[in-house]
Amino acid sequence: MLPFESLLKTLQTGSGFWNPLVWIVAIIVALLVVLIIRGFGKKDYKKGTSQTQAFLSGNPEYDKERMHIKGSNVYWGFSEILNWIINLLKKMHTGNVSDYVLWFVIIIAILFLSIIIPAGAI
Amino acid sequence: MDILQISQTALTVILGTIGLAIFGIIFGLFYKGVDRKLSAHMQGRIGPPIRQPFRDVRKLFVKENIVPENAISWIFHLAPLFGLVATISILLYLPIGGFNPLVISSGDLILILYLLILPSLAMVVGGFSSGSPYATVGAQREMATMIAYEFPLAIIIISMAWRLSMEGVRNVFALSSITSMPIWNFVGPLGFIGGIILLLALVLVTPAELSKIPFDSPEAETEIAGGLLTEYSGRNLAMFYLTDAVKTLVMASVIVALFFPYNLSPLFGLESYLAFAVDIIFYLVKVLLVVLFSVTLIRVAIARLKIDQIVYTYWVPITLLSLVGLIFLMWDQTFMVNFDIQPVFQMLGLA
Amino acid sequence: MNALEFFVVNSPIFAVAIPLLGAFLTPIFGMINDKLRNVFAIFIMIITTGIVFALSYDVVTNGIRTYIFGAQDLSLPVVRILFEVDAMSCFMAIISVILAVVALIYSWAFMKENTGLDKYYTLLLLMTTGMLGMELTGDMFNFFVFLEITSISSAALVAFWINRGKSVEAGFKYIVISTIGALFVLFSIALFYGQYNALNMAIIANSIQFTFLDKIALVLLIGALAMKAGIVPLHMWLPDAYSKAPSSVTLVLVAATQASLYGLLRLCFTIYGNMITLSPVSIGWLLVLFGIVTILLGVIMAIAQTDLKRLIAFAAVGEIGYMILGIGTGLVTMSPSISAAGLTALKGGIFHIMNDALDIGLMFLVAGAIFYATRETSLDRLGGLARNMKYTTAFFIIGLLAVSGLPPMNGFASKLLIYESTYQLNPILAIIAILASILLLAIFVKVLHSAFLGPALPRFNEVKEVPKSMLFAMAIIAGIIIVFGVFPDIIITNIVEPAANALVNNAGYISKILSLTGGA
Repeated sequence: MLPFESLLKTLQTGSGFWNPLVWIVAIIVALLVVLIIRGFGKKDYKKGTSQTQAFLSGNPEYDKERMHIKGSNVYWGFSEILNWIINLLKKMHTGNVSDYVLWFVIIIAILFLSIIIPAGAI
Repeated sequence: MDILQISQTALTVILGTIGLAIFGIIFGLFYKGVDRKLSAHMQGRIGPPIRQPFRDVRKLFVKENIVPENAISWIFHLAPLFGLVATISILLYLPIGGFNPLVISSGDLILILYLLILPSLAMVVGGFSSGSPYATVGAQREMATMIAYEFPLAIIIISMAWRLSMEGVRNVFALSSITSMPIWNFVGPLGFIGGIILLLALVLVTPAELSKIPFDSPEAETEIAGGLLTEYSGRNLAMFYLTDAVKTLVMASVIVALFFPYNLSPLFGLESYLAFAVDIIFYLVKVLLVVLFSVTLIRVAIARLKIDQIVYTYWVPITLLSLVGLIFLMWDQTFMVNFDIQPVFQMLGLA
Repeated sequence: MNALEFFVVNSPIFAVAIPLLGAFLTPIFGMINDKLRNVFAIFIMIITTGIVFALSYDVVTNGIRTYIFGAQDLSLPVVRILFEVDAMSCFMAIISVILAVVALIYSWAFMKENTGLDKYYTLLLLMTTGMLGMELTGDMFNFFVFLEITSISSAALVAFWINRGKSVEAGFKYIVISTIGALFVLFSIALFYGQYNALNMAIIANSIQFTFLDKIALVLLIGALAMKAGIVPLHMWLPDAYSKAPSSVTLVLVAATQASLYGLLRLCFTIYGNMITLSPVSIGWLLVLFGIVTILLGVIMAIAQTDLKRLIAFAAVGEIGYMILGIGTGLVTMSPSISAAGLTALKGGIFHIMNDALDIGLMFLVAGAIFYATRETSLDRLGGLARNMKYTTAFFIIGLLAVSGLPPMNGFASKLLIYESTYQLNPILAIIAILASILLLAIFVKVLHSAFLGPALPRFNEVKEVPKSMLFAMAIIAGIIIVFGVFPDIIITNIVEPAANALVNNAGYISKILSLTGGA
């Protein structure tokens, strides 16, 4: 049904292109090259010694629960910059269904003002 | 497309990737050495010899490849490998040595923008997977830095392409179109200023892309002990080291391709092998200059920023800067059409 | 007429009737045996999938197909319903059936421990019937009926875990929002019927005058369908419903949301297709604006979430923004025929509908798998699961790459089309789209870290990989994602481009029906 050539076609957007197959071939070749280079390195280490413990500048390791950084603590520096807008948006999401309907009314009003009123059809 | 053409393309890609991988690794390490030597001289030190990075890699190869007990070992091993492979694949789409990209019509600037994310993503995932608090802190900082600098980077790339599309060029995101029509050749005075602003913004984005001081808080040796690399050792660390080296070459090549795609050989009327040799040397010099200005000078001159300062720096001043560049390019186009302004190059009599 | 021909000619009705009949037969099989019932539901859905594929192949090769319920002689003044199936309808129907099949397979193990599964399977099949009906019909009132079928059955499914207060609350919110939306749709249909004495979309589109009443109908329909499609700021029901429903239901709910989006497309491109340039404020620009706001709000809210399913739901809102952005850009350039960049944007938007369904769908399935294995959805309480759940982790990583649009996944292809066309409308649009996709990457990397990576937590020592049927369901979607990613051009030329052309070519849609009625 599909001719073989169409499998190799490049996706054209009119402003650029993207051919995944070329990239995949390149990735595979590069992977082989890198694996050869990596093969020169030493493979093993002393399993089960203190070598494998997490580095904590010499401090003792806490229990595992405390060693895991929780989801809400990730991206501190970033959320710091965005906090004002996140708090604003969180306030918008009240979880109250009458507010949801209120937003619907507001949007209908905006659409009404922008589509119907300017035409002066009334 | 017949079978001959397919096999020809496949052979080009295979041999090209092998060649570019070796080229990228060797010259990446070379520029790393040059960078270290230069920055040492700037700080009044003697500094290591230029071949020091090669020795570093060799040393890392004889070290043990430790997997910490908290790590997820398969992701821990795959991340550095994947980072280096992705970085090498970018070289395929860049005009290296003044030639057209190896595979001319199979990838464009947006693809490069996305491929540049992959090595950073590999570092982030590697850092997270090592299960150490230091590495986790470093990894999440790297991710935040990445979001921060992608904003100006996207503005720069889209503005360049938009301005080019206004000249009626097809395939504006293709690097072959961009290098065949450098931005300086057709813009008016306002656009020329806009271009310089965008270049400045791109130079400022580069150190963060490469995790160099002042934007190296993901690694921050003095503070979080190497951050996302804390738990890495041996050949896995060497992979990250090589990734960094190749990425330096990639970023410098992107700047060269976007803003300085000129070749020397047409100027002297050279041909064949001599022209190739001159162009390659000229390209290497251009890369060296870009590395000097965007990496060495900045990292010697400025101290490390905190992570929230990095995000602020990129999202406010540098984003505004590149937006100004975009607006200049847009105005330039309008003015040139409406008031019949000549391109700067024609005014100077260069075109 | 041989059997195959008969089958294809009647396929529009089969596509709706078979899941409908199957839905009501399911409880009977359930009385015999639970496994038999599951097999029967999956079997029904696979048959429907086959029919939809056959219909799509026929439509793409032979053009629009119609089906008449009631009096075949169109000159008789009898009430009748017309199904009109073009490539866009087929495109949406393919998405719906794929997600429905996967959801049914996933449910096998995922819902096993629940009671009342006869009702569950019946409702799931009914919901699929409703979606397919919305997508295949050519009649406004019929569209409303199927919209109601979908809404009621989804609301019941959202509240399926009735022992949890929050599920019931989410179901309640969903039914309120749906009812209000459907009421306004019905009101608009009345406005059309009063003016043109017609309910058929093509006939309305042919005779529409853009009168005052038509404008009111346009406003109400855009508002109502935008709310059902989850466009900001009418999206607020969406995170509630998506996160509180069972994961298999959420998957089908994604398709149901997109069926409403399809209604919006039909409205803008077909019914008002001739009139769209007359609007004082460009409807296209309105959609672009909605798209940008939707993208930004979705991703920013997703960053702040700590509940896994709620986080994915907000990311889904962001993804909806990409579709609206691409489609809006296409609509802006329709004056009166579409530009090359506009068509690229439209193709990107349409392709992204499918990609979003697959990517976000896979994410919800992974979230369901995590919940199944650990009974947790809070990101603050998860960790280190990659040790126990290797396959789920691998599927999650595939989904992560696809959602954030990294090469070589399908998300990259559709986003590339959107970036490389919207920048011509305004560079800022493409910049925001790129930025938001990096934010999506950050959001899901956070999930990867907090759920799968990190030290082995003693609480989860006993956690095992999820059962095979769930893995198989995830593998199907992951496989489609990779195939679409590696061969984007084939998908775009064979499925997406016909759909985009069908949308743009509303004259063809109208004339097909007019030729049936003899130009009346």
